[in-house]
Amino acid sequence: MDNEREERLFRLPFKIPTFQGIRTLGVYLSGIFYALGIWTFLDAVLYSKHANASDVHVTFIDWIPFICSTFGMLIVSSIEKNRLLQGALNGESSLGSSLGNLDSRMAWQARSVLFFGFSLLAGGLSGSIVVLIIKFLVKDYTSYPTVGMGVNNVLGNVCVLLSCIILWIAQNAEDEYSYSLTL
Amino acid sequence: MEFKVSPLTKIISLSGFLALGFLLVILSCALFHNYYPLYDILIFLLAPIPNSLFSKSSYSSSDFMSEASNNGSDLAHFLTGMLVTSGIALPVVFYHCDLIGSISCTMSMLGGLIIYSSVVIFSWFFHSNWDSEEDALFT
Repeated sequence: MDNEREERLFRLPFKIPTFQGIRTLGVYLSGIFYALGIWTFLDAVLYSKHANASDVHVTFIDWIPFICSTFGMLIVSSIEKNRLLQGALNGESSLGSSLGNLDSRMAWQARSVLFFGFSLLAGGLSGSIVVLIIKFLVKDYTSYPTVGMGVNNVLGNVCVLLSCIILWIAQNAEDEYSYSLTL
Repeated sequence: MEFKVSPLTKIISLSGFLALGFLLVILSCALFHNYYPLYDILIFLLAPIPNSLFSKSSYSSSDFMSEASNNGSDLAHFLTGMLVTSGIALPVVFYHCDLIGSISCTMSMLGGLIIYSSVVIFSWFFHSNWDSEEDALFT
């Protein structure tokens, strides 16, 4: 086996996971959580369409929080993380040069877009809680199969938020690593 | 990989395995006259595509400073995790919504996992220099 040929520090029967492996695992985990979120929400939708015994149905209003958090996740994870770091480093030490100005303006744009994305995510989560309260709890639909539609909506949004957090941590850890290498 | 199996045997056994997966999924539809689980085949056939698309490009430019290839492989890993999980979750959701029965749910899930794992093992046999551990995570 070619496992024994490479040098190893510990006599463990398995390899110690490397940094890159942990990062890959984090990205996979984020995808898993996103799919769980989608399917928890779609479960509520399909349940309302096909197996619903009560007179409450999932309408477009229940879709809005999920769409918000999906857009928020898209925005947050598609932003270039190096812009934030670069602006933070160059913003203080720029002595009025045009390059530093450009960087700080770029960092400001990145920060505002990031804020928009995070507020979309938080708005999705709180919106789903609002839907759960106003549509189900206030009108005394508190028995389980009916209120399960609202609870699934909240759980789906929590899963999307969790997936976004895991993706952010995984990618940011990598950025710091490569940054220290380039220095 | 010291198996000493000829490639022809590998191909034949893998195709048998793949056919078993298709048989399970189609049987889970046809036994109950309810063709919703066929979507599971579609999802599990889509699942190996992102990794196979992006692994080539990240392999050719294996410079660890470059980030474009890293982003591509990140997207591929994200999509793979998402598709495999949704392939598992689809029969469960259908079962919860009384669209299919419990036997049909189990059969279609098993069949989909067999289809996905046979496709992954196929690409693992014939691209031996591929980074196999990342794909074998979800078999």
